[in-house]
Amino acid sequence: MFMPVATQASLKGLTPGQLARTGCNLCLNNTYHLGLKPGQETLEKIGGAHVLQGWNGNILTDSGGFQMVSLLKLAKVTEEGVRFLSPHEDGVPMLLTPEHSISLQNTIGSDIIMQLDDVIATTSPDTERMKEAMERSIRWLDRCIAAHKKPETQNLFCIIQGGLDLKMRKVCCEEMARRDTPGVAIGGLSGGEDKVSYCQVVNACTSWLPQNKPRYVMGVGYPEDLLVSVALGADMFDCVWPTRTARFGNAIVSTGTLNLRHASFANDFTTIEADCTCPCCRPEDQGGLNITRAYAHHVASKETAGAHLLTMHNVHYLLSLMGKVRAAIIEDRYPEFLHAYFRKAYGGDMTRVPTWAVTALREVGVDLLT
Amino acid sequence: MAGHLSKLVSFQLSRPQSDKDEPRVGRLTFKGRSPIDTPHYVAVSSRGAVPHLSQDMMRDNTSIRALYTAVEDSSSYWSPQVIEKSSHQSQVPPAFNFPASPDESPLRKFIALQKDVLLILGTRRIPPLPCAASSTSSAISIITSLGFGMLEYTDYAEAIQKLRPDIALGMGDVLFGHKPGVKRKEAMGDRTLAWLKELISAMENEEDGTPRTALFAPILPIETEQQTYYLHALQDELKDSVSGLVLYDSASVDAIPESLRGLPRLSLGDATSPHKLLDAMALGIDAFTVPFITDATDAGIALDFSFPAHSDTNLEKRLSLGIDMWSSTFVNDVSPLLTDCECYTCKNHHRAFVQHLLNAKEMLGWVLLQLHNHHIVDGFFAGARNSIHNGSFKGDRAMFKKTYAALPAKTGQGPRVRGYQFRSEGKGGPRKNPIAYRPLDDGNKELAKVILPSPDDDAENLEQQRFPEKVK
Ligand SMILES: [Zn+2]
Ligand SMILES: [Zn+2]
Repeated sequence: MFMPVATQASLKGLTPGQLARTGCNLCLNNTYHLGLKPGQETLEKIGGAHVLQGWNGNILTDSGGFQMVSLLKLAKVTEEGVRFLSPHEDGVPMLLTPEHSISLQNTIGSDIIMQLDDVIATTSPDTERMKEAMERSIRWLDRCIAAHKKPETQNLFCIIQGGLDLKMRKVCCEEMARRDTPGVAIGGLSGGEDKVSYCQVVNACTSWLPQNKPRYVMGVGYPEDLLVSVALGADMFDCVWPTRTARFGNAIVSTGTLNLRHASFANDFTTIEADCTCPCCRPEDQGGLNITRAYAHHVASKETAGAHLLTMHNVHYLLSLMGKVRAAIIEDRYPEFLHAYFRKAYGGDMTRVPTWAVTALREVGVDLLT
Repeated sequence: MAGHLSKLVSFQLSRPQSDKDEPRVGRLTFKGRSPIDTPHYVAVSSRGAVPHLSQDMMRDNTSIRALYTAVEDSSSYWSPQVIEKSSHQSQVPPAFNFPASPDESPLRKFIALQKDVLLILGTRRIPPLPCAASSTSSAISIITSLGFGMLEYTDYAEAIQKLRPDIALGMGDVLFGHKPGVKRKEAMGDRTLAWLKELISAMENEEDGTPRTALFAPILPIETEQQTYYLHALQDELKDSVSGLVLYDSASVDAIPESLRGLPRLSLGDATSPHKLLDAMALGIDAFTVPFITDATDAGIALDFSFPAHSDTNLEKRLSLGIDMWSSTFVNDVSPLLTDCECYTCKNHHRAFVQHLLNAKEMLGWVLLQLHNHHIVDGFFAGARNSIHNGSFKGDRAMFKKTYAALPAKTGQGPRVRGYQFRSEGKGGPRKNPIAYRPLDDGNKELAKVILPSPDDDAENLEQQRFPEKVK
């Protein structure tokens, strides 16, 4: 399942109704941003994020810690929590603790909430620090579980840490699985590590994790990454890429990404993608808009409506891709599906498929080159 | 052959004016489109879309019946002449090539406009920006996304032939921004007449003509005497080719010749408030482009008025015509923008959300306001039609003036400046968007002159904000 990211309780100009029509019923809100605007007090008063944005579907929130560490370069992690100087002029020292993160997420009322974890870039060479982060994340999980006030309505997911060190990952998987949270995230990835290492970690973690819990890999959204990760046993993904790239005039299609701002699309009167069933590409007699590449080119980066159109298409693309993935798995033909997808994406030349993907899929018994 | 243009539009006045200065109600019908009861508004588009509204939003959540598009607005695509100048090669605007059957409009298909909405094509954006250059005997001066340009009447005629809108507005020689002198005024009438004749002969041409496009003729915003010759020609020679009239100033209704008084009258954008709209209706204007709708939206204002005004004789002071949604008083307010409003926004969302979206600079805030504001104006016109029909317009208008003051002043920031707000002032004009980041070394003048990226509204740039919990 793919989850689009509605950072500040809104997905790049789409109404909740439009978002639902792309096929979405679970989207992401960012705790850090909602904590700033509109703030916990307002969320408390109006009754949470569902009420705020008028969204009847499900919401997943992150802990806020990742944004903290990645946006605020001066953040410092202590046992207590993430400590940092307010980037505001006054530079007041502030602290985000596991308890505070959970309290904020309880107020937001998201259906899935994430533990606060100690995130280190997987590429960090400091194994001591990595170990500390992994162990601290387990301790913080315990604090999150203790602080969680609404376990009957909100599902707390733990986050596996341990960088690229499989031994550490194994310890973390075992420890956290013992806490029996409703779902598990494999954390710290898609932060600059190479794809081979990424696949090894995902593949290893999924082999140690219980079968009956959803496994969520954070920050993954390229179609290839999704398909391979699913083959490796992951279930849930989120990424800002499809929506962000839409704003720059890029449309995701089965052969890759089209930069519709390019002059070559000015006279292209075909739909963004043939056979796409999104509201933009569907023909008029099926309730669609029949938006052409030429028109998308005409409004890309010029009109907000242009961004809305491409956002709808891109989100729909990924959601429907995952729908096809699920159908293929249920019908026991996922390997064939992977073959067909990669063949189309690489113009029939399977030797052009990146090695990491070929290798990773071979690990799980799918050989793209035969 | 001549005269087929006027048969496309039928306009029935159900309550004709008995006197010159009286409002009127009517119905404008164009084959294949939803009939439009007048007085009515015409939504203004930018690059084929109503600002902030994707085509599905407009179709599903507004009652827009007519859409105005300007050749100028996208003339980098629609005027071959500008393209040639800029790229030194002859290139046909893409919309001209859009595959369409003879009874379809390539423009409509290009901009993915729904079938039931009346499509109107004119020369200049609404409201037009003053141009430094004056018009010539064959062209008016325009401002395109590439800069100043001239729109030749022959190019305009070709655009109409190729794009086949439902209604094309004649090209008027009109000055914006300053008043013409006496000599100039005479030329205005002469040129407008000459261009109109050429346009009619192009449109009625049997081979490349536009049998599906009706023509509205300009009434110039100058004294009647100054355009007498033109008006006579309109009445005597061109009457059968003209389906309606376009005015640049509602007060020009006085100039309309007797035999053309039954034609529908579209006024372009001079009605800058609901009060002005009522004044213009009182003069007998039938259709309006209403720029204050999008202006209010961009300013974060939710329009708040109805016609007739809900009479409350005990009003202590006149009401504002809108609510400034930037106001922090709405932070926790989960009531709709207006109680009882039936628009999409008010049925599905609340003030707290709109306030949050504006505050967070999320595009959806402007979408929701745009839907609401169109709905309010829609209701305003429906109320006005009723009132005119009942004969109570005069009193209702007086009451409206007594009840409402002006639109609130803009306090918050508008959306990022986009295509439709493009305000080129030529060299040395103000930047469209404020500069976000300056080079560290401000002393380096060369560096400082480099144009820097504008601020990105992405939620990711929140470094300057404060997380709510302070260390005790
Ligand atoms: Zn599509
Ligand atoms: Zn409303």
